[in-house]
Amino acid sequence: MDVSEYIASGTLELYALGAASDQERREVECLASIYPEIRQELDQLTEAMERYALVHSVDPPADLKEAIMSKLSFEPAPVQEPIVKPMPVSRPTFQFTWVAAASVGLILLSFALFLVNQLRESQQVQTSLRSTNNSLQDEIRQLRDRQQSADAAIALLKQPGTRVIQVLGNDKAPNGRLAVYWNAQLKQVAVEVSSLPKLAENQQYQLWSLVDGKPVDAGVFENLPTNGQLQRTNRSIGAADAFAVTIERRGGSPTPTLTALVAVGQVG
Amino acid sequence: MNFLYFQLSKPLRTSFYTTKSLKRTSPFVSEAVLIEKLNRRDEQAFHWLYDQYSPALFGVIRKIVHDDEQARDLLQDAFIKIWNNLDSYDASKGRLFTWLLNVARNTAIDNLRSAKASSRPNPANAIHTDAENVYIVDRQHQTEPENIDHIGMREVVDKLRPERKMLIDLVYFNGYTHEEAAEVLNLPLGTVKTRVRSALQELKQFFSR
Repeated sequence: MDVSEYIASGTLELYALGAASDQERREVECLASIYPEIRQELDQLTEAMERYALVHSVDPPADLKEAIMSKLSFEPAPVQEPIVKPMPVSRPTFQFTWVAAASVGLILLSFALFLVNQLRESQQVQTSLRSTNNSLQDEIRQLRDRQQSADAAIALLKQPGTRVIQVLGNDKAPNGRLAVYWNAQLKQVAVEVSSLPKLAENQQYQLWSLVDGKPVDAGVFENLPTNGQLQRTNRSIGAADAFAVTIERRGGSPTPTLTALVAVGQVG
Repeated sequence: MNFLYFQLSKPLRTSFYTTKSLKRTSPFVSEAVLIEKLNRRDEQAFHWLYDQYSPALFGVIRKIVHDDEQARDLLQDAFIKIWNNLDSYDASKGRLFTWLLNVARNTAIDNLRSAKASSRPNPANAIHTDAENVYIVDRQHQTEPENIDHIGMREVVDKLRPERKMLIDLVYFNGYTHEEAAEVLNLPLGTVKTRVRSALQELKQFFSR
């Protein structure tokens, strides 16, 4: 706003003369507190009016002072201090209590969150440890099985007189291939499948030894997924010219189903 | 009547005190200390307050009501108001003396207004005489030889253009708003405001010399 324009408006003079309206008075007091120029002008004007009033000074009657004093109370006003002081004292403690409570709450909350996190982490570690443990145990079991079959194979191979017969698939199993370990003195037979077609759940491979063109049951064996595993069959075979493999129903058959012949290998 | 008025105001203050001389003669270090003592309703402080300011307040009240008995009662009312309302004095809004003058003036003008409302049908007439009174009384003061300061002040006041002085007195001592003054003087509102400003600026210039 234009301060000099306001000073020139005459409102300050009306104020100094006590002729300003309530609204003008509030306005002047407000503006004087903001603008030093207005404050200064107002002070000079009110001082001029003070002096003007002084010009008209008249001593009041001498006894008036006593009369007035008899009507005044010289007790200190009771409403001075007790109201003002407790507020700033109590307010900070009030705030302090809240701040303290809030910080304690915050600390507890973050500690709880920390614990929950820890718990979740340890649970994750535990599950991963458990699965690792399971897979390790599986692996150990497999290794042990393989070890046992390897031991058996080695035991069989160590025996003098053990022969290895390659048995190859015919046109029903073009990629079929297995090895038969046979010891004629011990009459023991074992099979090592390299590759054979997958069978239905109710079927099984059966090994036959051919002696003078006649098939002799040499036991059933599984088409195991892992290569190189040796399976002992529970039949005693003392003589064989050749070995043949047929597909039979689970448990084996007393006579071979010739239409299901898949592989043949000559001893020799 | 005019003469009587002059006679009554004859025991003039022996010194016209400025703020400076107030400080010099006062046992109090500053207005702030005085106000602090006043707020404790200190009796000594009241003596000081009364001795320093009652002549000025009484003079203003007399100028407003033109009746010594009434002025006496009103000065008493004013001091009771001052004493009971010291808490409402705000030093940041103006000097103590200005506040005291306002309380005294308002007390007297309120009284004048209620009296006027009940008795006088034509305020314009009364005011006209009143303004004349002021002028004449002040001229008489010029012949008063006793007090150098006061004579100086009188001269200063008399240097004011009569119509300006009349306007100041009309507003200050008769409590007229500038709207009322405009109506009474039959002047446009803007003119009154301009004249009030000129009059007070002139007064300000005189006192600042």
